[in-house]
Amino acid sequence: MASTEQTKVVVPLGKLSKAGVLSFLSAQGILIFFLIGMFVFSFFSEQFLSQSNIMTVVRQASIIGIIAVGVTVVIIGGNLDLSVGSMLSFSTVLVVDLHDKIGPTNAILLMFALTLMIGAVNGFLIGFLRLNSLIVTLAMLSAIQGFVLIYSGGQNVDIANQENTWFAFFGRGFVGGIAVPVLMFGLLAILIQVVMSYTGYGRRIFAVGGNPMAAVYSGIRKNWCVFSTYLISAFCVACAALVLGSRVMGSQNNVGQGYELLVLAGIILGGTSLLGGAGSIWKTVIGVLILGFIQNGLLLMGYPYYIQWIVTWVIIILAVWLDLANKRKRLFTSHS
Amino acid sequence: MFNKTAIAASVTLMSIATAHAEGPYRIGITQNNVGVDSYQTTYESAFEAAAEREGNVDVVVLDAGGDVARQIGQMQDLIQQRVDAIIIWPTNGQAVIPAIRQAHSAGIPVIVTNSKIAEAGMEFIAAFSGPDNVQQGISSAEMMCDALGGEGQIVQISGQPGYTTAMERAGGFEDRLAEACPGVELLETQPGNWNRERAQRVMEDFLTKYDHIDGVYSGDDNMGVGALNAAKGAGRADGIIFIGATNFAVGYDAIARGEYYGSIYQSPVDDAEAALQTALDVLAGEDLPKMNFFDTPKITAENLEEFDRPVF
Repeated sequence: MASTEQTKVVVPLGKLSKAGVLSFLSAQGILIFFLIGMFVFSFFSEQFLSQSNIMTVVRQASIIGIIAVGVTVVIIGGNLDLSVGSMLSFSTVLVVDLHDKIGPTNAILLMFALTLMIGAVNGFLIGFLRLNSLIVTLAMLSAIQGFVLIYSGGQNVDIANQENTWFAFFGRGFVGGIAVPVLMFGLLAILIQVVMSYTGYGRRIFAVGGNPMAAVYSGIRKNWCVFSTYLISAFCVACAALVLGSRVMGSQNNVGQGYELLVLAGIILGGTSLLGGAGSIWKTVIGVLILGFIQNGLLLMGYPYYIQWIVTWVIIILAVWLDLANKRKRLFTSHS
Repeated sequence: MFNKTAIAASVTLMSIATAHAEGPYRIGITQNNVGVDSYQTTYESAFEAAAEREGNVDVVVLDAGGDVARQIGQMQDLIQQRVDAIIIWPTNGQAVIPAIRQAHSAGIPVIVTNSKIAEAGMEFIAAFSGPDNVQQGISSAEMMCDALGGEGQIVQISGQPGYTTAMERAGGFEDRLAEACPGVELLETQPGNWNRERAQRVMEDFLTKYDHIDGVYSGDDNMGVGALNAAKGAGRADGIIFIGATNFAVGYDAIARGEYYGSIYQSPVDDAEAALQTALDVLAGEDLPKMNFFDTPKITAENLEEFDRPVF
């Protein structure tokens, strides 16, 4: 009897200390990597930590960041959204093309309406028809790319008079010394973080993503919750399109290609679980910034950008591994 | 009845008079990826218009959508249909060679348009028609040299890695610059993937990294305008010479505004018309060189008026 009690005490203790290291690593590992990376980069490039470079990185990261904020909500709700890259192409081409045809105000309104409509279709198929989100949004990725090609006929679209349009504000403007894209990124992140943390709606999204059955039994209208997450994601894409279109003052039909993966990379790096029910906007903001600094740092060190893909994905695999290791309290599986 | 006979007679007469009027010819074309960019889209409509004008040419227009396997399938379809000649815009300079060889064995002349194929396939093609991208790189290097007066530090934003056009332009530029202008230093090259937004980001990082940049060479104007955007955003555009290639409408306008030094005028319409003409010359049995380059002149503020604003 005494011996069993002894083992009962010893084993959990042993596991606890191990788990303590693991959970510390998984919780802070990314930040540690980040700090080491910053140190290495600043060692090789004196401009890396300069104020202007940091502002550049944050500004560049804000387009990915704005989208990632919306997709984080979808992921917390237990689904995925792979259509955001194509949607970004669509919305940017639309707003830039319409700018000269119907004026900036109408162009922006119409672009938001149509982007939200795509989000609503995603949300309807996934929320109400209960179709698999991976398949629906992957199909949407291709379908929207097709629409963009039909709409643009493959031609690039441009804003003719770049110097004299207030549309430039969204991508090139500054308010109080802060670039407008960064401001939009920050405001959206704060707004959605507050909604997710402090409102009943936010808690319902967490519940739906964490345990859909329990959520339904406790009277949450799961269909509407899932539907709404896709509207949020589409809204964020529309905001990003505003920034991108205004920054470049032109667009081409493949401009958002691959963004879905960068967005996911930022979210995963931040530590939001792809399984749903957990995560936060703050984590995503940090993940997106880390991604931006990796890309910028490698470029400043003179590596071509495709090295970034390799480095980014090595770090992501590490992040996912640490996350899983923390959940099962060990680095490797005990049995095959 | 009389009319028909008259037409038939005149056709016979014409075919005796010139080799060109023989036919009607059926020419199949398999393009790389129409719709992916403005250049290819304009090329397709120009090609169809040129064939229409030619009168005695019947064209089968196909598009591989960037997919090598699909393009090989389209080549085989065209061989089955026994067209008189095949024009191919290769999706991949290596992988399409077996299909080109098949056409060659079937006695159908193959004309490669716009982008070259690998050396191993050259013996199976009747002719190549397209821009000389190495020469374009050379011309850009000469413009850069002139604009900087032989002294300065520059950066390069190249096209898609692995894409022949990108490599040839970069190669021509770098070689010629080193030779003609040893006083101009190429600080760094990064790919911009033919994408304006990516080029803009790359340029922002260059501007952070280098305090002093005198010139930027971009693999096309779409990227060049991205670089210009970045420099304007950083308030450093005035001191920088921007040179591109494949003059786009945005680049044309920027030259007109004096913000952009120069580019290479490459018209998809010329490209398409040259491809069709090369095919017709081959069919007429004319003695052609293997490589047929259409003219792609330098364009700067000085001669801007000689050129139409590009449609893309």
